[in-house]
Amino acid sequence: MTPISVLLIFSTLVSFVAGQLLLKHAMEHDLGSRRFIRFFGTGLLAMTFSFFVTLGLLQHFDLSYLYPFQGFSVVIISVLAAVILREKLTARLLFGAALISAGVVLVSLS
Amino acid sequence: MIKSAKEIFLNPWFQIVFSTLAVACAELFLKRGAVAARPLSAALNWTGVSGLTSPLVWIGIVLVAISFASWLYVLRFLPLSIAFPLSQSVHVLVPIGSWIFLGELISSRRWAGIALVAIGIFSVAKPVARLEEKL
Repeated sequence: MTPISVLLIFSTLVSFVAGQLLLKHAMEHDLGSRRFIRFFGTGLLAMTFSFFVTLGLLQHFDLSYLYPFQGFSVVIISVLAAVILREKLTARLLFGAALISAGVVLVSLS
Repeated sequence: MIKSAKEIFLNPWFQIVFSTLAVACAELFLKRGAVAARPLSAALNWTGVSGLTSPLVWIGIVLVAISFASWLYVLRFLPLSIAFPLSQSVHVLVPIGSWIFLGELISSRRWAGIALVAIGIFSVAKPVARLEEKL
């Protein structure tokens, strides 16, 4: 595992999380409004970037090696939605998100 | 009160279930189609392009598009911190679907992971369900 692959795995995670947050923010605006188009466009771009870099990584690494990193996205998205989009995050919600992340990691390790 | 079919269909909670089911079905169709498709030239083989010759793959692609539209609708109404964890039920549905429909084996460690995801989803969904009842 080279520093470049670490960077690529990290960038797929960041762009996937950013994509979800941007799409969510876009949908809070009127469809067709300038802000909607801006956020929707960047969100779609981020998701597309994440998709193709993941596809590239899959040519070099096993799915079971790459998948656990995606599992962490559940906790990261929930926390960032609270911080950036000011959504209400309860302890129970965070606990549930952590369980789901742990479960996804466990599923992909086996 | 009996709700009309349209009202149920436009309910974001219905849509999140619909979107997740569509993704899970898409994965199963894509897998079936990818295996059934005849390989093209060796140069194109690794890209998965040969899968496009299978109608099952096209059903999968249509389902992915439908689920994305449904997901955007969900995002319009539900907080991401609730909708995204719930959408992860796909990690329960896909392995169980591949077990039932594709005859794939699931190890005990994988069953444990599936159970953890299911408990996590339950713990996210329960307070939400209670909140909905009050409304």
